[in-house]
Amino acid sequence: MKKIRLGDIIIFLLSLVLIGASFGSYGKLSGKPEVRVQAEGREWVYDLSVNTTASFSGPVGTTSIEIHDGKVHVLASDCRNKVCIAAGWISSAGEWIICLPNNVFIRIEGSIEPQAGGVDDISF
Amino acid sequence: MTYPSSSPKVRIEFVALLAACALFLSTVEYLIPKPVPFMRIGLANLPLIIGLGLLTKREYILLALLKVLGQGLITGTIFSYIILFSIAGTFASTLLMYIVYRFFKQWVSLIGVSIAGAMASNVAQLTLSQYLLFGAAAKLIAPPFLVVGLISSIILGVFAQQFEQNSAWYRSLRKGSL
Repeated sequence: MKKIRLGDIIIFLLSLVLIGASFGSYGKLSGKPEVRVQAEGREWVYDLSVNTTASFSGPVGTTSIEIHDGKVHVLASDCRNKVCIAAGWISSAGEWIICLPNNVFIRIEGSIEPQAGGVDDISF
Repeated sequence: MTYPSSSPKVRIEFVALLAACALFLSTVEYLIPKPVPFMRIGLANLPLIIGLGLLTKREYILLALLKVLGQGLITGTIFSYIILFSIAGTFASTLLMYIVYRFFKQWVSLIGVSIAGAMASNVAQLTLSQYLLFGAAAKLIAPPFLVVGLISSIILGVFAQQFEQNSAWYRSLRKGSL
């Protein structure tokens, strides 16, 4: 009875390569935190440890963000309610600020490490 | 490649039989609990693997179409956007399986054909989900999908290979004596 042939092994190895490559997407989640900003239909990536400011235009005007000492906040925005400015500073992975009227979404990505003294619990 | 030379009426009945098998296996697939609803074992692809050695190109496309419609009917997704995933997955896998079987038959058994089909289906659906559902985050669900696809396709391939080698029904169909 003929069973496994050379082509089978090649296809199997190729799919292992594909699976290995797909696991690469997890690697990007760890590492140093990055600020990712979605605006103007694109995505920008900033280093959280480099102090800088940036502006993004959206449907209602301009939204400016500031990165300072490993924290990021919205400096100014032309939106009406200023909820994004009121959100204040964010500094750890998983946190985000969104300005809905101006279509600006700011989030921090990186390895999520428990903050010293931080609370991260769920209760029922 | 030789195909069974039965009459057209018998042949179309045979496509219908394989499609009915796909419909039944879709139901069985639907019964099996899964961590996420769109993660599939791909049982309904079994008739498509077995049909490779029996059907002409046109009959094979017809079978794939009937499988998509039958699966949509069973899962109730026929008029929702989810059917797009079924179409993309089924046609990507049938296309690749057909190519692999047609041109690399000497070097590949149905196990390899099955793995290739599962990978094509998964990659097509993940690419589609990147545009329709998850955006760039679609990459994150790729590894579990591909691993499940690989394991289940090997099992299905082994089954199809055994069936091809041992089924008297299959042999008589290949000879065209049914």
